[in-house]
Amino acid sequence: METLWTADEPLTARDVQDALAGRELATTTVLTVLGRLERKGLVTREREGRAHRYRSVASREDHVAELMRDALDAAPDRGAALARFLGSIPPDERDKLRDLLD
Amino acid sequence: MELTALGLLVLGVLLAEPVSRGLAAARWPSRDPVGALLVWQAVGLAGGLALLGAGIVYGLAPLGPTLPSAVRALLADPFDLRLLGVTHALALIAAVLLAGWLVGVLAAVTFRTLRARRRHRDLLDLLATPWPAAPGARVLDHPVPVAYCLPGMRSRLVLSAGVLDALDPPAVRAVLAHERAHLRERHDLVVLPFVAWGTTAPFVQGMVCAQVAVAALIEMRADDVAAARVAPAELTGALRSMGGAAPAAALSSFTAALDRRLHRIVEPPPPLPLGLKVLVRAAAVALVALPTLLLLAP
Repeated sequence: METLWTADEPLTARDVQDALAGRELATTTVLTVLGRLERKGLVTREREGRAHRYRSVASREDHVAELMRDALDAAPDRGAALARFLGSIPPDERDKLRDLLD
Repeated sequence: MELTALGLLVLGVLLAEPVSRGLAAARWPSRDPVGALLVWQAVGLAGGLALLGAGIVYGLAPLGPTLPSAVRALLADPFDLRLLGVTHALALIAAVLLAGWLVGVLAAVTFRTLRARRRHRDLLDLLATPWPAAPGARVLDHPVPVAYCLPGMRSRLVLSAGVLDALDPPAVRAVLAHERAHLRERHDLVVLPFVAWGTTAPFVQGMVCAQVAVAALIEMRADDVAAARVAPAELTGALRSMGGAAPAAALSSFTAALDRRLHRIVEPPPPLPLGLKVLVRAAAVALVALPTLLLLAP
């Protein structure tokens, strides 16, 4: 994933394997991992000749921002998804908080 | 049967409104958060049973003198349903629809919650780095201080880099002790039904009261557990530093709730005497038993 984030252009599995040359990974291993990342909606792939080129859906910073939004957002159905140290916000104040965050 | 239905209806309405309001306004729950959580669950369960039961009992009344006998008659000959008059049929339909709606909403919210958690966990595992000072905790590189846990079978404890900047190590340990209490006691499961039904029926005041009260009670419980494991001063220090920096600090209700939590840790109210604690738990059991007996009594 790190390799895809730092790359400027979409990479093939072979490119990723080369970039991770120090780790001695088999091509199938790289493909398996890329497939798993694709299923999780983190990378997309497009066909190019006989190979697929993979690129990340969003930057590392975007994903961190998404996590922070999850963690701070007061949306009602996220209330049950995680438990914050500072507790939940009463329903009538949620809209106000959302305005503050935007 | 009609009398039983009326009794169930009265019980359900009492639990949904005056009892919920009274319990939300009561002072003793802060002296026994666990007992109070049990009572809230009992109120929710008994209230639901009573309201649904009232509709079903009234609806099936023409088929037998008690609910079990009416159900037996119905199972023996399903065409008996034609014997129900309009009002009885309407009551039965309303109860069945309400039951379907309650189950459906709970299932939908559970599904959405699990999906949101899985997505969040996938990203965390990719982006957060393990924090060596505490096993199981991960650090997310972001300056806004936030500490939370992701409950579930594969739970995660998360601190943002902002927390590590704002707090000294003992305070961080206090935060982690608080979050671990949420995880260990599966507070997410306690909260889930209240969130599901409270947010889809905000017009029922009792449900909203319950949702807010239960959310406050699990924080009290986690504070109690944390304060027993670390020095209370470290917990209050962590709350003060994080509370002042939180984006929600501009909300008056947020700071008021924070002050109440701080006050409770600094000057803990005396725990309920053992006898009263037993009484509270017995009352919770009795609350659920009452509509169950009314429904099943031969």
